[in-house]
Amino acid sequence: MNSASPVGLERIVPLNRYRYLLNKVGWSVFTILFVLVLNFFLFRVLPGDPARALTKDPRMKEAAREALRVRFGLDKPVINCFDSLTPIKLGDCGVNPLETQFFIYIKNLLQGELGISYKTNRAVSEILVERLWNTILLIGAGQILSIFVGIALGVLAAWKARTAIDYGALFTGLVAWSLPTFWLGIIILFWGSSHGFPIGGKATPGIGAYPFLQQAGDIARHMFLPTLAYTIVFMGEYLLVMRSSLLDVLAEDYILTAKAKGLSAFQILKDHALKNAMLPIVTIIAINLGFTVAGAIQIEAVFSWPGLGGAIFEAVESRDYPVLQGAFLLIAVSVILANLIADLTYTYLDPRVQSE
Amino acid sequence: MAVQELELKPAVPASPLTGFWKMFRENRMAVAGLVMLLVIVFAAVFADVIAPYNPRSYEGIQSGDIYNPPSATHWFGTDDAGKDVFSSFIFGARNSLIVGFFAAFISIFIGGTFGVLAGFYGGRIENFLMRFTDLMLVIPDLPLIVIFVALTKPSLWNIILVIGLLGWTTTARIVRSQTLAVKSRKFVLRARAIGAGNGHIILHHILPLVMPILVVNAILVISLAILSESTLAFLGLSDPLAISWGQMLNFAFGRGAMSVGAWWALVAPGFGIVWVVLALTLLGNGLEQVLNPRLEAHHLMPGRLPVWGGEAESYPATAVRKSRRRKDAAMVLDVRNVSVAYVNGNSQVKAVQNVSFQLYEGELIGLVGESGCGKTTLMLALLRLLPAAGQIVNGQILFDGRDLTSLSEAEISDIRWKDISIVFQGAMNALNPVRTVGDQIKEAIVKHNPAFPQKRLETRVIELLGLVGIPAAYKDHFPHQYSGGMRQRAMIAMALSCNPKILIADEPTTALDVMIQAQILDLLDELRAQLGLAIIFVTHDLGVVAEMCDSVLVMYGGVTAEYADVDTIYNSPRHPYTQELLKAFPDLSRPERKLAFIPGHPPKLDALPPGCRFAPRCSQAFERCVSEMPRLYELKAGHVASCHLAEGKSR
Amino acid sequence: MTQEYALEIRNLKKYFRAGRPGWFSRFEKYIHAVDGVDLQLRRGEVVALVGESGCGKSTLALTLMLLEEATEGNILFEGRDITHISARERKAIRQRIQMVFQDPYESLNPTQTIEEIVTEPLIVHGLALDGNERRQRVLRALEDAGLKPAEDYLHRYPHQLSGGQRQRVVIAGALVLEPHILLADEPVSMLDVSIRAEIINLLADLRRTRGISVIFITHDLGTIGYFADRVAVMYLGRIVEIGTMREVLKKPKHPYTQALLSVIPVPNPRMRKKRVILQGETPNPIDLPSGCRFHPRCPMALEVCRQSDPALLKVTETHHAACLLLVK
Repeated sequence: MNSASPVGLERIVPLNRYRYLLNKVGWSVFTILFVLVLNFFLFRVLPGDPARALTKDPRMKEAAREALRVRFGLDKPVINCFDSLTPIKLGDCGVNPLETQFFIYIKNLLQGELGISYKTNRAVSEILVERLWNTILLIGAGQILSIFVGIALGVLAAWKARTAIDYGALFTGLVAWSLPTFWLGIIILFWGSSHGFPIGGKATPGIGAYPFLQQAGDIARHMFLPTLAYTIVFMGEYLLVMRSSLLDVLAEDYILTAKAKGLSAFQILKDHALKNAMLPIVTIIAINLGFTVAGAIQIEAVFSWPGLGGAIFEAVESRDYPVLQGAFLLIAVSVILANLIADLTYTYLDPRVQSE
Repeated sequence: MAVQELELKPAVPASPLTGFWKMFRENRMAVAGLVMLLVIVFAAVFADVIAPYNPRSYEGIQSGDIYNPPSATHWFGTDDAGKDVFSSFIFGARNSLIVGFFAAFISIFIGGTFGVLAGFYGGRIENFLMRFTDLMLVIPDLPLIVIFVALTKPSLWNIILVIGLLGWTTTARIVRSQTLAVKSRKFVLRARAIGAGNGHIILHHILPLVMPILVVNAILVISLAILSESTLAFLGLSDPLAISWGQMLNFAFGRGAMSVGAWWALVAPGFGIVWVVLALTLLGNGLEQVLNPRLEAHHLMPGRLPVWGGEAESYPATAVRKSRRRKDAAMVLDVRNVSVAYVNGNSQVKAVQNVSFQLYEGELIGLVGESGCGKTTLMLALLRLLPAAGQIVNGQILFDGRDLTSLSEAEISDIRWKDISIVFQGAMNALNPVRTVGDQIKEAIVKHNPAFPQKRLETRVIELLGLVGIPAAYKDHFPHQYSGGMRQRAMIAMALSCNPKILIADEPTTALDVMIQAQILDLLDELRAQLGLAIIFVTHDLGVVAEMCDSVLVMYGGVTAEYADVDTIYNSPRHPYTQELLKAFPDLSRPERKLAFIPGHPPKLDALPPGCRFAPRCSQAFERCVSEMPRLYELKAGHVASCHLAEGKSR
Repeated sequence: MTQEYALEIRNLKKYFRAGRPGWFSRFEKYIHAVDGVDLQLRRGEVVALVGESGCGKSTLALTLMLLEEATEGNILFEGRDITHISARERKAIRQRIQMVFQDPYESLNPTQTIEEIVTEPLIVHGLALDGNERRQRVLRALEDAGLKPAEDYLHRYPHQLSGGQRQRVVIAGALVLEPHILLADEPVSMLDVSIRAEIINLLADLRRTRGISVIFITHDLGTIGYFADRVAVMYLGRIVEIGTMREVLKKPKHPYTQALLSVIPVPNPRMRKKRVILQGETPNPIDLPSGCRFHPRCPMALEVCRQSDPALLKVTETHHAACLLLVK
């Protein structure tokens, strides 16, 4: 038998705002922990780790294999009770938990160590930090542009509902939404390469010797095509969501009230409709962060942009597991944090959240 | 608002399914999407027949065949291995669709089950399932898919499984919220009251109403799965033996198509992906419009300008009515023969026809009628606030020596609120939820009096709220922190903020408790006495009207049934509708009287009877009533009724 | 089966938890939706339950329907305690107690035909398994609910009917189980004024022809006139006055009843009367006022009302009111 209170009664019991915020923060912390655990076990459960394969290579001498096992930390049990997970090999449950692979992984993480790249022999954390900034630069520029353009077109479409402008914007949005990111990247690259744009990378080699302005100009020229592709793909969804959200808001009773108050159409749009219609967009941006990363992987692969997505692409090709593991962790944590920020922004924007 | 619903509602279909097909056929987006999808499905199914070459065979390929441009023998040119791009394109469709459909099937199954279970059972089950969903939602999909596929064998079925197992989160959320919405509907409670168990309710009441949304969502999930598959293939993670569009792009991109300018090898497979995804997107969006029709019309769309067609009929002479408070009151509003229509393409629905009334200073007129009688439409017309399809097609609205129907949008904007303000039915949504009440009141004051001293604003807001009995501290609260009665009173305070001459109160107390209703009526009565405000009170409740109004206009089916002072309406009504409506009110002072009702129901405005609108329900109707619409007959000064029976008695 | 009462409610309470104790609030709070209600419903009797929103009348109905489990107290159906019975027994009881809801536009599943809606209860209870017999019962229920000829309605969908017709379908869906008790929760408040009496008269007929007992819940006494035998007035989870229709309407004893009656508009401008308008709104049922629950809004409150919580006091054999002014 359901025991929820009858409709209406729950509204008189306001939920504490701080409790709500604490809930959100606590949940994000939990999610990060989950990702840490997932990231560790995923790579130990799934087959195909070349390090593990190497340590089992019968052509090598026992001593060499043992040395490799020590080097990759595979000599220790995965976690209490399990010496190995593929194949499952039970072990001693009484070992010192700090001496297991799992806790060494956690300990290293806390010290900012993500292992050594198989391919380049550099510290993974070092590679990733450098690449993280490149990705943020690309995603940041692309997201800001796509949000701006998408919302502007969406507002225009909703305002001019059921006119040619509206139908044009709607069709543009649907097509943009349907474009595969990497393909659009290829087409734009194809076009750009014949119009004098650099076809890949972040900067012309050797540009570091030139003055700052020239460097910035060079990076901007390299960024133009990937950002364009990125903007077009993401603009579509923002356009569609903004249009539909604003259409809903503009049909609300309080818009009629505002009109009855004698406000002009522009005033109503500015003071009564936009903020309300933006609320769903904030949620969409939060939910979209995962797709944002997917977009970055594709764009970076096409334009050889040295970002995190590119790192994943290269690590997959060369089966460079520590980099793959580190990149996934970094991406997941960034998305979770960005999600939290979006959630908190929403709480701040919508007064109703505080008491629901 | 009732008017919105009236406008452009599709004709009621015979059954949900036939209605669905009819609307589906009329939706260009859905039809285009379906046709596009069928074309590609056809190509995929009959790939062996359609494709001119076998893309797996190297038979007959020579070294000169590499990257040949489109020609009569190779419509889409050849690729890096000299194979026919068109043939690969056709076979690629097959794999894309297989992955899309099967992966989506897995996702929809998991997401649908989770969503329904979480939404229906609530409590711990919901908590666990939705927390898990939230968890999966924030973890970025593609990197995880890439890792899974990279670590396992990239076979077609592995890819399907991984995409399917990771793509269910949005479905679970959407289905859950729809299940919650359906579950809270009264027919589910009714099913419980009948004694139905959970299984029965899910099967017969929840699923049929969740299914439409699930289908729309499934189409979206298929398109996302196809995009994921092509991305994986492009990244080189596909089954090497299965030809797919993404794989074709991977080969072309990685093997120099760009540098040799072989655009065809790059364009064709991408075009395939866009075609399918666009087809699904159009179909999905179209279906959503069909299943959940929205008007896509809003309050900022430019309205139709009034057509001033002169006075079709002579309107009744100025009524001599006993205003209870002021004998020498001046006329503030003169509504003459106003007709309003809703226009949809070539069809016109007359919502209000030739209604006239006058309003004096300090007068309270009751506008009475049942749902759909046109009373709200008439009120919106007075302020030219009709929805986009509504249009004043006849008549004059004289206020302050000006005809409101002939003013420009800017001119009418100045009159709104400053001279004539309006309080809508159900203040639930009439206040902006994200701005404080005080702020919304200030906005109205500043709009019509930009010179209003900033310092006085705050005190003026407090004064206005005080007038309606709301403590000053509430000015900085948001509407959701108000109770229903308080919101309605805040609306009244806002309506008074510019000292208007006329206040239109459109069913301000419907859905409120009797005591709150009494409080608000009392308030209105006091205001008109204090401020000399003229009030138009729209209601379906004749009892309320008797309590406080000076004059009454009874509307039925868009026309005036009867118009007179309140005493005449109650003690010597002439229109059978007024008479029978009065009998339908229980009179607590007369316990012996049996409750009466009017058989049948009020007419729909798009299906009005040809003669008198009330004839089908009228106990006194005769032949003439069915064929001829009665005009307004004047029975005495200030008393008119539109009934053939009144003809002989008219002056 | 010679029980005098169709339904007997003894000190019934239903509380809802309002917010869990957590980091910031240590104590559990409860919404006292129904807080000690005693009521007897005779066979074939109509009792009107009147009160404003938040008085607990709808929760009381759901509790009586066994859709909510009572926190305390007992519900006796024809002499048998049904407060805490097994799911199987509950299902059996539901054949006998049926409910009519407020909103006829919402209480019918839009994807079902009228026939499916009215047949559903029979299927759920495994009754009338013979197709022909089942059909006969459905047709009879529809005709008894005033939908004639019933055949015309079978294949229609709810959206093709008017509000009044839909409410009749809901009633037919209840009647098909041949209930002894009908709980009508504001069945006419969403209907147009001109057709409200249609439904009320139908309920009156059913009581006469089938001997069904009715609990009629409403927020506005003005809509039902003298249709009920007795009236119970609820305020903040309790019955504050109960008596025959005439006693309560003509000689109300509780100040709350007096105020409620005074604001019912009289459809006659020559009989405008003095209204007693209570200020403020019903307090929330979480933090109840001390003493008499009504005293903060009572125009006649005395000092003693702050401290002492009055029980129902006898006015006549059939008329009781919970007001300290009666103790004199």
